Amino acid sequence: MKLRELQSLFQSAVLTGDAEDATVLDLVAQSQRSDRTTLLGVYVNAYRIRLSEFLDEDYPALRVLLGDDAFEALVEEYIAANPSRQRNARWYSTQLPNYMQNSDNWRSNERVIGLALLERGLTDAFDAPDAQSSTIENLAGFAPEDWPRLTFSFHPSLRILELPAGTLDIYAAATSDEEEQIPLPAEGLETVAIWRAEYDPSYRALDADEFLALNEAIAGSSFGDICQLVAFQNENQPAPERLAQFLVSWFSEGLVTVVSIAERS
Amino acid sequence: MEPLPRLGYGLGLRPVYYDEILSTRPAVDWFEIISENYMIPGGRPLAMLERIRADYPIVMHGVSMSLASTDPLDMDYLNALKDLADRVEPAWVSDHVAWTGVHGLNLHDLLPIPHTREALDHIVERIARVQDFLKRRLVVENASTYVSFTGSEMDEWEFVTQMAQKADCMLLLDVNNVFVSGFNHGFDAKRYIDSVPVDRVAQFHMAGHTNNETHRIDTHDQPVCEEVWSLYEQARRRFGNVSAMIERDDNFPPFDELLGELQRMRDIDAAIAAQAPRSAA
Repeated sequence: MKLRELQSLFQSAVLTGDAEDATVLDLVAQSQRSDRTTLLGVYVNAYRIRLSEFLDEDYPALRVLLGDDAFEALVEEYIAANPSRQRNARWYSTQLPNYMQNSDNWRSNERVIGLALLERGLTDAFDAPDAQSSTIENLAGFAPEDWPRLTFSFHPSLRILELPAGTLDIYAAATSDEEEQIPLPAEGLETVAIWRAEYDPSYRALDADEFLALNEAIAGSSFGDICQLVAFQNENQPAPERLAQFLVSWFSEGLVTVVSIAERS
Repeated sequence: MEPLPRLGYGLGLRPVYYDEILSTRPAVDWFEIISENYMIPGGRPLAMLERIRADYPIVMHGVSMSLASTDPLDMDYLNALKDLADRVEPAWVSDHVAWTGVHGLNLHDLLPIPHTREALDHIVERIARVQDFLKRRLVVENASTYVSFTGSEMDEWEFVTQMAQKADCMLLLDVNNVFVSGFNHGFDAKRYIDSVPVDRVAQFHMAGHTNNETHRIDTHDQPVCEEVWSLYEQARRRFGNVSAMIERDDNFPPFDELLGELQRMRDIDAAIAAQAPRSAA
């Protein structure tokens, strides 16, 4: 038998989980110590164990929220539906939230999908590209008349997610060292920023006006334009003051990498 | 191509030990990384590697080259590997006599091949192409296997010997894998060691495995067992002072335990050296 055909058959037995595949067993030499099914089973079992470990590692809170049985059923389902096309195991688990969104079994469970999206975001932040953060002192180098035209570049790890309300509380409870009660479902959405602070993923909730401001800033809007948008949305607090609070946070959290002046249009 | 350096006694670099390595600068001669763990955009793993690289030689050991696969070589993978090699400047790059998948899939395992002339020609041609692409001599490791194939036309040691000679690559002799495969397939591990050409072996791996009585599995989660230490001594007598290291990938012990295993290597080697006939002054 040609090598290509042997590899196809062997792979198929591993993927289908069939350590008793007669065609493959016929190709396997007898062993003095063990039966061939047991030996082929080493590969069949290792495949599932290994892929499960990748998912386990990246979704620890999801396991807590679902409980072991439901989590393992999800993992089994995902592995069966998604043989890996990744050369690097790092990205095998990435599509889990998308799989759930498209699965009849999971798509209505927004709370669970929200937590999966948060955990994927944290994993992505962990090894996102590096960039040197800027400090707030750099703002002092710009003349006051230029401030309306300031634009900001952000750390490549920064992502903003809209998740079901309560997702952050669920994550905090599920990953706490203490045994904490998982909060009950809440209504609505919450917005979250995820990024990497030095080496560790970080996250925090964003108020509606900061969500708007940060989204605009990421999209390249100037400081002046962002002020106007926030003023329009937020009548209770003067926009410049609120924007100043945001800027202090963004710089102190290492989110901003470059400040520049937009060309006059 | 330049001969590969003799690096001494090394350890697999694993994240659980980053802090200890950086704070204590242990007496380890070199570290081996799993290449794929650093083929990522950025963050802690690459930052730690850079700091450790400043003080120690590094070797890159991959698990996804899939040298024996009948799928086309994955050039995206090889480009990423080359980028990492350009960044790390490793003493060498290694991977396995194995395939990891076909039809564009990856089973994330080191899968076995029949030792046939067809498989030999196939892997030789691919190693040669990878060497041309990376512009460096590849070091290729014997994998642990749990099945062998009725269609094999030669013993594994004959296969790897011919592979190394025809592809002009070097060999990473995993002493534990020789033992594990020998146990599982009923071949004589000592004969394997004695059959591999001395001038082709650039590195030893040592590791622990799981004994399931009817078969053994290469789990890297145990200390090196006595039978493998005995094979190590035999290998050392045959291959001389090639670079050697301990792999540990699970059930991580305190770092000192791994240093203890390295010391045992050094002690064995010192005892062998003491027995060697002294040349006339």
